[in-house]
Amino acid sequence: MSAEAGKTLCQDWLSRLSAGNHTAFAEFVDKYKHSVFLCCRTLGLDDDEVEDAASETFLAAYKGLSQYKGRAQLGTWLWRIAYRQAVNYLRKNRNGREQLLDEPSEQLADNKQPEASAAIHCKEQERLIWDAVRKLPRLWAMAVILFYREEKSIKDIAKIMQVRQNTVKTYLFRARQKLKEIIQPRLGEDIDADR
Amino acid sequence: MPIDKSEIRLDKMLSRALQSSCVPVPPDFTDKMLTRVREAEEQRLLTRVVMQEKLALAGCIALGISIIAAAAVVPEFAKNLTGQAQTFLAKISQTAESVRCQWQFYTILAGALLLAVYNFMELLSGDS
Repeated sequence: MSAEAGKTLCQDWLSRLSAGNHTAFAEFVDKYKHSVFLCCRTLGLDDDEVEDAASETFLAAYKGLSQYKGRAQLGTWLWRIAYRQAVNYLRKNRNGREQLLDEPSEQLADNKQPEASAAIHCKEQERLIWDAVRKLPRLWAMAVILFYREEKSIKDIAKIMQVRQNTVKTYLFRARQKLKEIIQPRLGEDIDADR
Repeated sequence: MPIDKSEIRLDKMLSRALQSSCVPVPPDFTDKMLTRVREAEEQRLLTRVVMQEKLALAGCIALGISIIAAAAVVPEFAKNLTGQAQTFLAKISQTAESVRCQWQFYTILAGALLLAVYNFMELLSGDS
């Protein structure tokens, strides 16, 4: 399929989505549900809360889709809604925003046993890194996931998280430092040497 | 300033590792969402109908009040209104009389009309 045909197909899908077509909406949910769940989970919601917040996110998106002008990427637009919904959920049901910069309670509990790093398998490495990200303060983890996983620009992350670009850079810098501190004892050789 | 290779490797490692998804999503989540969306649409439709009903009721009440107020303020208007109502009632009785005299014709006409309405409804339900 040519790029032009792909673009037309995408525009057609977007216009069906904006018009409230249920099939297009089901495809939209399927495509982005993992990202929305990840967003809510990263901000510290538990299983039930995550599903509620994700539902609210998609419902808000459904209502707002007719006003979606395509200025931002659809994914970025949805991440922004998901972030706002999750933060609102936390504000309503918990102490709120200050919690987002606190470190999770299980913080660094298993951080001290350096192992033979060369033997660690790729899957194990992924698990270790995810565990390390979960130990970061929520907002830092959010910035890390948006930057490294979703490959969003600093500008987009700032829009999603409704903070200044310099704040995002600070979050990322501190998160990298912390991640390095957490994973280096285990993956030290992987980081220090060429694979 | 020399670029720290370990920093670049850390970036690559993070990018690669974080691509793997790790958040479980209920398998019926999309269906649940569609159900919620349909419910929300029904609710919106219902709210609109209720609003229309309320507006219609308010309109009827306002019309009644304004007619009564007008009749109270301008007696000429009330007299005129009564005259028009009497004419209207007289026309109804004339029509009833006409129907009674030509009942065969009106019965056939009503039957044809009912058949047309039935066919039209069937056509509509067939389309949906």
